[in-house]
Amino acid sequence: MKSTFRTALFTVLFGIGSIISANAQDATTILKKMDDVMYSAKDMTGKNTIILIDRNGKEEIREAIIQQKGNDKRMFRFTSPASQAGIAVLSLPDDVMYLYLPAFGKERRIASSAKNQNFAGTDFSYDDMESVPFSVKYTPKLIKNEANVFVLELTTKGRSDYSKIGVHVNKTSYYPVLMEYYDKGNTKVKEAKYTFKKIGNYWNAAEIEMTDLKKNHKTKMQMSDVKYDAGLTDDDFTVRKLKQ
Amino acid sequence: MNRFVNSIIRLRCLIVFAVFTLTIFFGYQLKNLPINSDIIDSLPDDDPTAKLFKDIGTEFAGNDMGMIVLETKDVFNAEVIKHVKQITDSIRYTSGVSTVTSLTNILDIKSSEWGIEIGKLVDEYNLPVRQSDLDSLKNYTFSKDMYKGVIVSDDGTATAIIFTLLPNKDNQTIAKEIKEKIKNLNLPETIYFGGLPLMMNDINDLIISDIIWLIPIVFLVIAIILLISFQSFRGVLLPLLTAGISVVWTLGIMSVAGYELTIISNIIPVVLLAVGSAYTIHVLNSINHMALQDRKQALIKGVAYVIIPVILAAVTTAIGFVSFVFGSYLTMIKDFGIFTAVGTIIALLLSIFFVPALISALSMYRKKKAGEDTEKKTVLTHKILIPLTQTLFKHPKYTITAWAFILLVSVIGIFQIETSVNMADYFKKDNPTRVAEEVMQKKFGGSLPIFVVFEGDMQSPEVLQKMIETQRFIKEDPSIDVTQSVADLIEQMNDAMGEGKRIPDDKAKIEQLWFLLDGQDVMPQLVNDDLTKGVIQSKFASVDTKDIEAFTKKMNRFIEENQNEYCQIKLTGMPSVYDKLNSSLLNSQRNSLLIAIGLVIFIVSAILRSFSKGVFAAIPVVATIIVLLGIMGIAGIPLDIATVLVGSIALGIGIDYSIHIITGFNHHLLENGDAEKSIESVILLSGKAIIINVASVLAGFLVLLFSQIVPLQNFGLLIGISMIGSGFSALSLLPAILILANRKRKITANNH
Repeated sequence: MKSTFRTALFTVLFGIGSIISANAQDATTILKKMDDVMYSAKDMTGKNTIILIDRNGKEEIREAIIQQKGNDKRMFRFTSPASQAGIAVLSLPDDVMYLYLPAFGKERRIASSAKNQNFAGTDFSYDDMESVPFSVKYTPKLIKNEANVFVLELTTKGRSDYSKIGVHVNKTSYYPVLMEYYDKGNTKVKEAKYTFKKIGNYWNAAEIEMTDLKKNHKTKMQMSDVKYDAGLTDDDFTVRKLKQ
Repeated sequence: MNRFVNSIIRLRCLIVFAVFTLTIFFGYQLKNLPINSDIIDSLPDDDPTAKLFKDIGTEFAGNDMGMIVLETKDVFNAEVIKHVKQITDSIRYTSGVSTVTSLTNILDIKSSEWGIEIGKLVDEYNLPVRQSDLDSLKNYTFSKDMYKGVIVSDDGTATAIIFTLLPNKDNQTIAKEIKEKIKNLNLPETIYFGGLPLMMNDINDLIISDIIWLIPIVFLVIAIILLISFQSFRGVLLPLLTAGISVVWTLGIMSVAGYELTIISNIIPVVLLAVGSAYTIHVLNSINHMALQDRKQALIKGVAYVIIPVILAAVTTAIGFVSFVFGSYLTMIKDFGIFTAVGTIIALLLSIFFVPALISALSMYRKKKAGEDTEKKTVLTHKILIPLTQTLFKHPKYTITAWAFILLVSVIGIFQIETSVNMADYFKKDNPTRVAEEVMQKKFGGSLPIFVVFEGDMQSPEVLQKMIETQRFIKEDPSIDVTQSVADLIEQMNDAMGEGKRIPDDKAKIEQLWFLLDGQDVMPQLVNDDLTKGVIQSKFASVDTKDIEAFTKKMNRFIEENQNEYCQIKLTGMPSVYDKLNSSLLNSQRNSLLIAIGLVIFIVSAILRSFSKGVFAAIPVVATIIVLLGIMGIAGIPLDIATVLVGSIALGIGIDYSIHIITGFNHHLLENGDAEKSIESVILLSGKAIIINVASVLAGFLVLLFSQIVPLQNFGLLIGISMIGSGFSALSLLPAILILANRKRKITANNH
């Protein structure tokens, strides 16, 4: 897998760079451990409930079945509300996406380089939805060592709308508790609160609550019926499967 | 009356103390007086056009659109594009900004055989540098309607950065912050700032600088005139002090009552200084004329003698102002009417209570000068008034004929009057804001937002189809370049799904296309949260009142014919607001003038106990107002939120001159019984007072010519003209009528 190789490469490069600073090494290790907790399963299947909450507190609920293999293959299949049931989104490596709209009975390829756009009306951008390990995309710095959490400050290596992300990492289990996203004007624009639950050998993000602080809009993504390592193959992530 | 003045003098210390305490109290309130230059706020809160416009601001992501234009030789140049990105970023990271759209961040959706490609027109992390890249960007940009003339001007020399602000924020502070940030970038291109938030911020600055600069000048000018006419320290100090105090109280009361300083109430200080000083002048004049040895008795007699005429003068002036309260639709003008009337009454009360109290408390009695009692034969009397009386008696009919001719020409002029409500016209021709508006109009179809609001199910094919039809209809208008709505996006997405650029017939398809649009930055600007309302956004390129009127009329007819129970359509936006302001200006002018004329005739008739005298007194001012409106029509001075005030104010102030002539005439007629002689002496005596009064009010208002705000300049000029007009007509037209009326009466009396 290309991206696994990339991860490894970055980790090595990073290891060399961080000899200079013991602090940076700590931060890198912490982030690496967090990535391990978040992305160690081979595959995952589960029910995803998306709750959109607007500034007046009005809620809108969508449900989808989610399937994921590795870090870069994912299928979203909406089951509710009725008007959206059957809509499916297949994400493949290199920013390739296929969309299936049942009312049209056909799929369309969507190539999006505009990753700061939000995914399907949620407060998650395509960028946030990506499951590329954090240690690949960001350079960490340990800025606080609190009783229960490490506070890391991640600065972006490549292109991103964020100038930095503040991450609170649980000290015993190394899952993220809170992420704070800052724009290039150094204003906090978004905030994600994580709730993790242990399922089998893995920690699962049972709920992510993302708040867009500018729009005062909130999205809760809840996972249930999660199964890990069920043996999904690349065949489960094809355009043919998308239409089923 | 003497007893009344006596008790004022007995209570002098209390009165002086109370006045100073209140002045300190109100003066302290001044710092809380907010400034509001938002012209939309001048429409009443329940006005449907204004309400809809404001609602769009809260329901959709901001109606407050700002526009920055960067002008250079060629926009498609690596440096220029880098600068556009710098500006875009500095706006994006300003809190209170809802959205920014520019060449460097606009979304580009391409649909092709295999699908949709969503990207940015320009990759902001990898701006084009090579000439070939720049050229292909140029060709692509010009090939798409959604960019050409919207983001880049047709000739490629200018590019626009458009931003909207979040509702309920302090928009002007944000606009100012953005402007300063961009100025600090020190970019080599010419940069223009436009759109309402920036424009209002500029008007605010002008209001403040006007207040700071004009008030001292008005003070100085009036002081000079007072010094010439009274030649005493007291004569300069007291009128200015009372006028100044009435300004402080009036603004203080506005602040306490929760009112705001607007582009119109901005001139309250100037008006009150010019008008309010007059009452104290009359009181002082009267005291001076009481040639009594006992100074206290002179004070009492002088004040007692003048109380009634001064009250009459102040009440008629206040009526001129109050007429706006009943006659005007615009709150801005109503507020102006209320508070100038309040200020006038305050100035009146101060001249009656405070002036004598202060004179006796501080013993500011005047020193007697030698040779004062002999009435000097002045230049004024000799060169102007005596020849004037002679002409009048020789040719009363010619005088009236001449006036009739002037009035006829004026009536023709009245039909030429144009109105102007466009905010850009408030600025002088060379003002950067006005220049910017012109550039935006020429290159980007203006900055006046239009909104057509649709109420119905935004996912229904019928409603979306209606939107498309409406957009087609709107685009037929020569002043409209671009329109945007969710229906466009649905068509685009339908095309991307391979089913052509049209609205699908099946609601299920629309609902699923919606899935693609959900979460796009532009969506909250186009539909509300629960998808019951959608809006077509557009811009209107003309500020011409006739174009705006024609467009609004045409749109309203279209809406009438096309809306149904499933789809309600409403039009708002700046053209609609301007159209509303426009028609309310004409109504204000008519109503407030009629109310003012009616009330003044009523009051003067009541006080002089003769209806015909009331009508006679009104003739010179009505004639003046006709001439005034005629001059506006002929000289092309438009009726706007400031010049609409002139007529009624001129009436309120100008009527005083007629009252002086008529009361003087009555007085002399009772004394000597000879009408012609009475007319002669009243012109010689009151004529002098009238000319001095005209000069001081004129000088005060002419200072407004130095205002930075064009309507206020015109206002000053027109008040000046009407002061001269009402003074002159009171001294020529009115006496000529009196002469003829008298001769006729004599002839009829002789015949009988």
